[in-house]
Amino acid sequence: MNATRILFLSAACLSVAATAQAALVWEKTTIELNPTLGAPNAVGVFKYENKGDTPVRFKSAPRTSCGCTVAALQKNEVAPGEKGEITATFNIGDRTGVQMKTITVETDDPQNPTTVLTLKANIAQLLELQPAFVFWQAGEEAKPKTILAKAGKGVTLKNVEVTSSSGDFTAKVEPGAAGQFKINVQPKDTAKPLNATLTVKPDAGSGPAKVYYAAARVMPPGTAKP
Amino acid sequence: MNIAWRIVAVIIGGLFIYAGVIKVLDPVEFAGDIDNYKTLPWPIGVRLAFYLPWLEILCGLALITRVLYRGGVFILTMLMSVFIIATIVAKTRGLDISCGCFGHASQYLSFAWHLALDFLLLGGLLFLWRTRLPNDGALA
Amino acid sequence: MKSLLRQTAVLIGLALLPSIGQALYYRDKVSWQTPVAASEMLTLAQARGAADLIWIDARPEEEFERERVPGALLLNEDRWNELLPQVLAIWAPEKRVVVYCSSESCGSSREIAHRLRKEAGLTNVFILEGGWEAWKKEKP
Repeated sequence: MNATRILFLSAACLSVAATAQAALVWEKTTIELNPTLGAPNAVGVFKYENKGDTPVRFKSAPRTSCGCTVAALQKNEVAPGEKGEITATFNIGDRTGVQMKTITVETDDPQNPTTVLTLKANIAQLLELQPAFVFWQAGEEAKPKTILAKAGKGVTLKNVEVTSSSGDFTAKVEPGAAGQFKINVQPKDTAKPLNATLTVKPDAGSGPAKVYYAAARVMPPGTAKP
Repeated sequence: MNIAWRIVAVIIGGLFIYAGVIKVLDPVEFAGDIDNYKTLPWPIGVRLAFYLPWLEILCGLALITRVLYRGGVFILTMLMSVFIIATIVAKTRGLDISCGCFGHASQYLSFAWHLALDFLLLGGLLFLWRTRLPNDGALA
Repeated sequence: MKSLLRQTAVLIGLALLPSIGQALYYRDKVSWQTPVAASEMLTLAQARGAADLIWIDARPEEEFERERVPGALLLNEDRWNELLPQVLAIWAPEKRVVVYCSSESCGSSREIAHRLRKEAGLTNVFILEGGWEAWKKEKP
């Protein structure tokens, strides 16, 4: 048994020991969620148990890192040996990608007065528009510009339907590479400022219907080149 | 040459090459991950973000090819130890870190599993440390 | 021992080559001195001094309805899809876009600014330093 092995083992033991003292023990302080495509919210349940010998009381309602997440206490006081849970509901809205929201819990436990719970949600996306905005300068050649409609991970796009809010712009859809679609947008002319909102309806065969928007514009004259 | 040690060397070397490549592909993200530990000032962290992944790749290669083998094992052992300590310190400070060791591929592992994997890697490296090689893998 | 040091030195030195090469490639793409490029934040004084400005409120709708910077457009993460077009309808490349949310520490303005730059391709997008708190202090 050499020194390096001993060092290695004691480091491992130390890190375990550091977490063993609290009275209110949480089953998990980070919960990862994978809400289904189109789900309006994601719910994480944080379970705890009072492993100490005195009751633990929650000092206040848990604080969340944003207004989009609400956390509800099941009870205000936890007797020794009692178990409970805190339910955190994260309102997804139009958020995308990996979202981390924290819930801060304050108790009267002197060893662990503050605990930070983390809700991690991987938001699946139905569609991504690259870019969401195309524009022409005044007098620029009225050539079509392309918005690429890409399917989110694990989604197969059958088609996208695009309608323009104004007849000044035409939007034609053609299939692109590997399940992507090209939306070719063209203004009828660039002589005067024009503005249109393109409503993009992806068709993924099944699943929730969600509408995305892109914008097309002809800029007013006198705007500088970006 | 004991085949078990060889297999362990290839696996661990491969893992570090993989980890290094992921970070080389997005050094800015890695710089952000280093910054999350809040132990190094940004100017140092961002430069390390460009350097460390390449060091990882070369040391991983050293393990597999057995060229500069002991140097590779030594450097990786030091890197892992520093990293494990930094991770534990960050956690006790209540920092929310997403590791960054395997890029955001490892964000799907919980902290405990992460730490277990790190200790496993460190253990593997210490195991390799004791491998006796002809010429000890030195160059010329 | 000596060969170990030599091997370590060689590996450390070799790793410098590709990393310096990569750093040179990224030299204009990375902020070397500060984590968030200082050019992404605007102070209230700078914002008010600018001629053509679009204010974006990244807070929850109730807060926007209650009180906001005059002329600000609501664009938050809850209704991004629906609210984005109205922002795009008035944007022009020479206008500055300043995004604010509840306070310096809230992350929404950073998220919204990031999405405006990345998804909509807008330029000149800034975050208000001090957030809504800073505005309230100046205009009670």
